[in-house]
Amino acid sequence: MRNILRRRTVLLGSVVAVVTAIVVLLSTGLGRDPSSTASPLIGRAAPDFTLPRLDGPALTLSTLRGQVVVINFWASWCTECHTEQAALAQTWKKFRDSGVVVVGVNFQDTTRDARDYVRTAGVSYPVVEDTNSRTALAYGLRGVPETFIVDQAGRIVDRIIGPVDATRLSDTISSLLAAGPR
Amino acid sequence: MGQLGTYALLLGLALAGYGAVAAAFGARTARPALVDSARRSAFGLFATVAVVNGAMLVALLRNDFALRYVAENSSRQTPAFFRVLSLWAADDGSLLLWNLILAGYIAAVALRFRRDRPGTFPYALSVLFVVQAFYLILVNGPARPFATLPNPPADGTGPAPLLQNHPLMAVHPPFLYLGFIGFTVPFAFGIAALLAGHGTDAWVSIIRRWTLVVWCFLTIGLLLGALWSYSVLGWGGYWAWDPVENVALLPWLLSTAFLHSVMLQERRGMARLWNIGLVIGAFSLTTFGTFLTRGSVLSSVHAFTQTAVGPAYLAFLAVVMLVGFGLLVWRLPALRGPARLDSAISREAMFVGNNMLLLAATAIILVGTVFPLVVEAVSGEQITVGGPYFKGAVTPVFLLLLLLAGTAPLLPWRAANRARALGRLRVPVVAAALVMVATALAGVRQVTAVAGFGLATLVLVANGQEIVHGLAVGRRGGRGGVVRTLLRGRRRYAGFVVHIGLAMVAAGITASSSLGRQVDVTLKTGQSTVFAGHILRYEGLRTDEQPQRIVLSARVKVDNVGGGDAGMLDPRMNLYPAASTPIGSPSIRRGAIWDLYASLTSLQEDGDSATFRFYRNPGVNWLWFGGFVMALGGVAAAWPVRRRRDDQPPPAAARTRAAVEVGAV
Amino acid sequence: MNAAAMVGRVRPRRPVLLVLSAVLTGAVTLAVVAMHGRDAQLSEAQQVQQIASGLHCPVCKDLSVADSPAPLAQQMRDEIARKVRAGESADQIRADFVAAYGDSVLMTPPRRGFSATAYFLPTIVMVMGLAIAVMLVRRWVRGAAPGPDDDEPSPLSASQRRAVQKAVARLREEEPA
Repeated sequence: MRNILRRRTVLLGSVVAVVTAIVVLLSTGLGRDPSSTASPLIGRAAPDFTLPRLDGPALTLSTLRGQVVVINFWASWCTECHTEQAALAQTWKKFRDSGVVVVGVNFQDTTRDARDYVRTAGVSYPVVEDTNSRTALAYGLRGVPETFIVDQAGRIVDRIIGPVDATRLSDTISSLLAAGPR
Repeated sequence: MGQLGTYALLLGLALAGYGAVAAAFGARTARPALVDSARRSAFGLFATVAVVNGAMLVALLRNDFALRYVAENSSRQTPAFFRVLSLWAADDGSLLLWNLILAGYIAAVALRFRRDRPGTFPYALSVLFVVQAFYLILVNGPARPFATLPNPPADGTGPAPLLQNHPLMAVHPPFLYLGFIGFTVPFAFGIAALLAGHGTDAWVSIIRRWTLVVWCFLTIGLLLGALWSYSVLGWGGYWAWDPVENVALLPWLLSTAFLHSVMLQERRGMARLWNIGLVIGAFSLTTFGTFLTRGSVLSSVHAFTQTAVGPAYLAFLAVVMLVGFGLLVWRLPALRGPARLDSAISREAMFVGNNMLLLAATAIILVGTVFPLVVEAVSGEQITVGGPYFKGAVTPVFLLLLLLAGTAPLLPWRAANRARALGRLRVPVVAAALVMVATALAGVRQVTAVAGFGLATLVLVANGQEIVHGLAVGRRGGRGGVVRTLLRGRRRYAGFVVHIGLAMVAAGITASSSLGRQVDVTLKTGQSTVFAGHILRYEGLRTDEQPQRIVLSARVKVDNVGGGDAGMLDPRMNLYPAASTPIGSPSIRRGAIWDLYASLTSLQEDGDSATFRFYRNPGVNWLWFGGFVMALGGVAAAWPVRRRRDDQPPPAAARTRAAVEVGAV
Repeated sequence: MNAAAMVGRVRPRRPVLLVLSAVLTGAVTLAVVAMHGRDAQLSEAQQVQQIASGLHCPVCKDLSVADSPAPLAQQMRDEIARKVRAGESADQIRADFVAAYGDSVLMTPPRRGFSATAYFLPTIVMVMGLAIAVMLVRRWVRGAAPGPDDDEPSPLSASQRRAVQKAVARLREEEPA
């Protein structure tokens, strides 16, 4: 009889242990945002690309080595891209003479719609077209807008998903400029 | 309406609380009057929750945008039909439906047991009220559908575009809920039986039929979900191994295991512990499923947007598992029963195998679904566990299950005469082998497909043979003998029918997974392409402006290659103001053997050029038909029989009943 | 005499041979198909399809790049086709996408590190399940010791025995035994 009781207590203990383990595991999932994913590109060399400008010759990323590059993927049909336009324009105005380039990469769009948008929004930094999305795929794009900050040595230091915040951009760029070309 | 709803919800919570306490207290102190008053309060609870749902429906139909839920899930342009369906479009509204169905089940239990009360009834009633109380606390607390907005907008944002695109939205969630929530009843009676510590055999006879009915609802709910995925989402498939889909399948697997192993308990008094464990497991899985769907833990097509109720569901799940399995372990000594099999070649032994396989499938799918969570907790990496993994892992298990479904019905209870058993196997096995050779010769490349077709044939022929044989015996019994045989052996023949349905589903799944073809093609207006024996010509784009959306239809003319008109296809893109990307709707020409399926992937140059995906999907309709047959078989098995004193009782319980009757003589 | 009754009357003649040869035929067929499938050469389109169905469409939930109708998935398929034509192996192409998107772009867990345990799981579950099932059936066939509340059926009287025999005979008619 005692054996049965002891076995019962052991089993009861294991039930409690298993349930606790399950609850702990599931509660780790409660905190996370299921749609966010970390990028493996941070700290690695930015994939090079040569893409045609909306109006003008092609632009190759590696020619911008030595400057800080802000690569912004956008589309004319993307409503969130409209909201970040002001922040990008502000950043461009502030840093364009300090060795920083903002490059807009148009994603899954038509040339006509892209040109219309650039004209209406008054975008003055270079804008290129990624027609077959090969560059977007190389950068692990999951949607627009997404912005990558590349340092003077051509390495990706930050990736922003969603509309950019001018302060965050400016802080990162300033610290990169202060560290100087490496 | 908001006020009415809020107060009615509070009243409901009070009733549920009263019912739980009164039933438990009445059981403890042996006061039947108290238990009966708790029973009657179930009807009051149902009426109250019905009023709550009615209040929300009226608010939706009258465009009462003062209510936050109506403002977020309905709009003036939404057609009235879909405004009604908005009741379950989002988390807090669908909780109202959940509460209604649960209250309905409790009322049904209260009605069913108004005269004869098994010993487990009071505690079961109490457990049911406690579960209801939890869900009512949720709608009164963290998820408040009747919350009002200080500045009501002039118009609402409308339901999510995907949820107002197709009438299937009317039936898929309700049937799924009927299936899911229904598991509360067997669970409640199981807990009550454990608390009582004895009389688990009586428990089984109550619970078997309830579980069968719930199983039917869940089968239909899953079927409708697959039908939706196929007809609405436009990717040509019906099951994406989405986390929410997986957790809906798990209780179905466990309850199927229960419906088989319950026969072990009925006939041999075995597996009592196991059966209660299965019932507790099924309910735990439905609670876990709710948590996963609404707690936004894993990314899913179904996930409701982030809500605050995750921790509440997790706490409830913990309580359910601790109480359920804890009680089970506590009663371990009392539940141990006699366990004896006469032979390893018997239907009983096959049921052991069946349960093992279904449990294995459940374990594999469950762990696979939560695996990303585990990996992230352990190493911080983010991984995906998708269709290919599940398909590879689970296909062998399901093939083995088919093998059992094709052989076990041919084996008798207790012990088989080997020669006799082999004799019965002749026709099915030969048929299966012939089909396998035929499919291999026809050029099917995948081993699992050839095996799938062969085993489906085995199941079909074996179960069909048993029905035919039984009817032939009945024919010998004179006029009306066939009908009498069917009625007396209702559970057996219904079981054969369910297996035949399963064979059709298996054949459908095998065909669509291995023999499907698809092609991506861009066509200019007037241009045509040849696919699957048809000439498909893009005729042009048609725009249809509706109040709630703009519909762009790409009209495609279909002609047979050998000449002859085969109709039109019009895959569509629906532009909703709330959605930034269009929602596609496929166009399907269904056929007995295969479907011609068209999806519009993109439009160029204002509709002068369109990119299509055309599919040739074989066997999909066997799936829907087979699933329907399975549900029909389940209904036939569950249909209540009018017990006449002088007539023979149903043979299902006849063996045990024979002894009982004889004792009464 | 109808066909069903005839089948019931005919004595099964050597069913073992027939059943065994049918099972053997099935097994051989499966083996042949398996070997044939391994040797099959895949066309470029089939190769793209195979690689694409192992990659997770980044902008969809649950769907593979092969199944997804999304424009980005279409462009990924084009990119895969380009890489196949350029001579990249399937592993290389997958590695390229993992470099950009991370391990979550694979439809199945990567086969290294802790994630690889996912691949052992199904086999372990099946083996354990099989072992437990076999063990249980054998224990029960040999006759386990009766539990605490196992009651012996009380002896029957003659009339009770007759009633039982009648009920059993009725059942025998329909059941396969």
